[in-house]
Amino acid sequence: MSAETLPGVSEFPWRRWAAPFAWFSALAGLLIVMPHLGPLFAAIDPEAREPIYRRDAFVDLLTNHLLLVAVASTIAIVCGVSAAIMVTRPWGRDFLPLVSQLASIGQTFPPVAVLALAVPWLGFGGLPTVVALVLYGLLPIVRNTLVGIGEVDPATREAARGMGMSPSQVLFQLELPLAAPIILAGIRTSVTVGIATAAIGSTIGAKTLGDPIIAGIINGNTAYILQGAILIGVLALSIDSVFARLLPSRH
Amino acid sequence: MPAALVALLLLDLASVQPNRIVPGQGMSLWAIMGPASLLLVLLPLGVGGLAWRASSERLLWALGLTLLAMLGMPWALAGFCHVFIDPDAPYARAGLAAGFWVVLFVFMLALIELKGRLRLPPGSWWVLGGLMLGSWALALASGVLDKLSLMQEYLGRSDKFIDALAYHSLLVASAVGVSLMLGFCLALAMRRWSRLERGINGVLSLIQTIPSLALFGLLLAPLAWLADRFDWLAAIGVQGIGAAPALIALVGYSLLPMTRNTFVALADVDPGVIESARGMGMSPRQVFLQVRLPLALPVLIEGVRITSVQAIGLAAVAALIGAGGLGTFVFQGLGQAAMDLVLLGALPIIVMAVVVDGLLTALAGALRQGARDD
Repeated sequence: MSAETLPGVSEFPWRRWAAPFAWFSALAGLLIVMPHLGPLFAAIDPEAREPIYRRDAFVDLLTNHLLLVAVASTIAIVCGVSAAIMVTRPWGRDFLPLVSQLASIGQTFPPVAVLALAVPWLGFGGLPTVVALVLYGLLPIVRNTLVGIGEVDPATREAARGMGMSPSQVLFQLELPLAAPIILAGIRTSVTVGIATAAIGSTIGAKTLGDPIIAGIINGNTAYILQGAILIGVLALSIDSVFARLLPSRH
Repeated sequence: MPAALVALLLLDLASVQPNRIVPGQGMSLWAIMGPASLLLVLLPLGVGGLAWRASSERLLWALGLTLLAMLGMPWALAGFCHVFIDPDAPYARAGLAAGFWVVLFVFMLALIELKGRLRLPPGSWWVLGGLMLGSWALALASGVLDKLSLMQEYLGRSDKFIDALAYHSLLVASAVGVSLMLGFCLALAMRRWSRLERGINGVLSLIQTIPSLALFGLLLAPLAWLADRFDWLAAIGVQGIGAAPALIALVGYSLLPMTRNTFVALADVDPGVIESARGMGMSPRQVFLQVRLPLALPVLIEGVRITSVQAIGLAAVAALIGAGGLGTFVFQGLGQAAMDLVLLGALPIIVMAVVVDGLLTALAGALRQGARDD
């Protein structure tokens, strides 16, 4: 990453952050406007008795949706990165093959199945959703952290040690900064899947933006489905646009 | 292994339920077998002990013990059903409790760990995996596990289950097939007109970011409208709910990994090889079909693998919009709070994903090996 592409200290790079800014404005705008669009949705779905979903305010659903994802992602990031660090230390290396195999096999499990299997164990509601999000969100983070640390050139590590750096200095000043873009890419995957899975969480009783969609499917109300789907879509794209700015471009 | 011991000793392994709704009476190993349970405790203890100071001989013994446990598990369950479930009570059933799942999970972990440490010929793991699946299949087919709650759910809807399984596979296969063709064309277009690369990648990752439930919802309204307006669309089966939006969404999600992998696969072929093929007088067409494509195949298969695994999971979500498949059981079960029905949907989905993943990984590996041997 060259010096120009780093965010300046004195001046906030507005142009660079234009896309996330636009997406979040759109999200906020939709939240404000949506409850007043009754006539529009009535025109789209004339059979609907009530054109706007009113069981909960969209703002509350969005807040709760974000809260679930934020809690789960924080736990997943902390646990995932520390687990990956532990198995790459000399004393934890015995577990490296096991953890890395587990992370790649676990990722073949469909998120819906993980979500559904959390229910017999924890009942319905927000808790099983968070647990499923954490379990599933851990995998890309662990995997990418392992790849990121693994890709640090052994010669560089050796040189750092030769300069008299302690093991923890090597970790925090060399390995983690070099692995950061790959770890961040893992977090991005994890959060994207999290937002999608949290939406499905409303089938197991979590209050999320999936609620209007599920209610719409059950009552045959296309207007509800559209309202939920538009908000979830814009939310996912908003969050993703932030990650797109944080990560160095692939091109 | 300590976890397996704790699970064996403390958690309920299985339960006896008088019918579908009433929660069962949990039973720990001690309650089931009495003092004889100490014999079973020896299994994880033995595996753990053998792995402690590992030599390849000791690890082989550990593998043998793990295998014994995995092969014996369905038959032990059958014994439990035989002894504890009253054959005259038509609704009585045996449930699987937390202890069982923990023990199964720990032995799976042990297998993965042993697979990493023991250098056995790759074919032997397929034989072992086949043996284990075979042991379960035999136990399930022979009817000794019929009193298991999962089997009770299955027996109540075996026709529907087979249909759902077939339908799920069909949905995934057609989505992967269509996206393979489309993805291949897109990748070729990106190779020819490099200005397209950014645009196509951008659009495809945008689709990939939209949560599945939202995409299904967004497709539902326009498709319903189209089917309403144009009778011929409705006649070929296009509807707001059902297979049409499911298939479109699955293809949409599959296109990104498929296109990206195909593009990378074709671009990464060693230019020296291409050059020498041209030097041998091959036409551009021959170079592509006989050199570039076969060399790109392993990475291309990798794309098919990612896409298939992803599509198997997403097809489950599609059940919400009436697309059928195994997800139907999951959401029905969640609606009725019947957890065994949830399992009946979720377990085959997981097994399907893991098996497809394994097969395609092996295929890509074999192709790579073949390319190296040539």
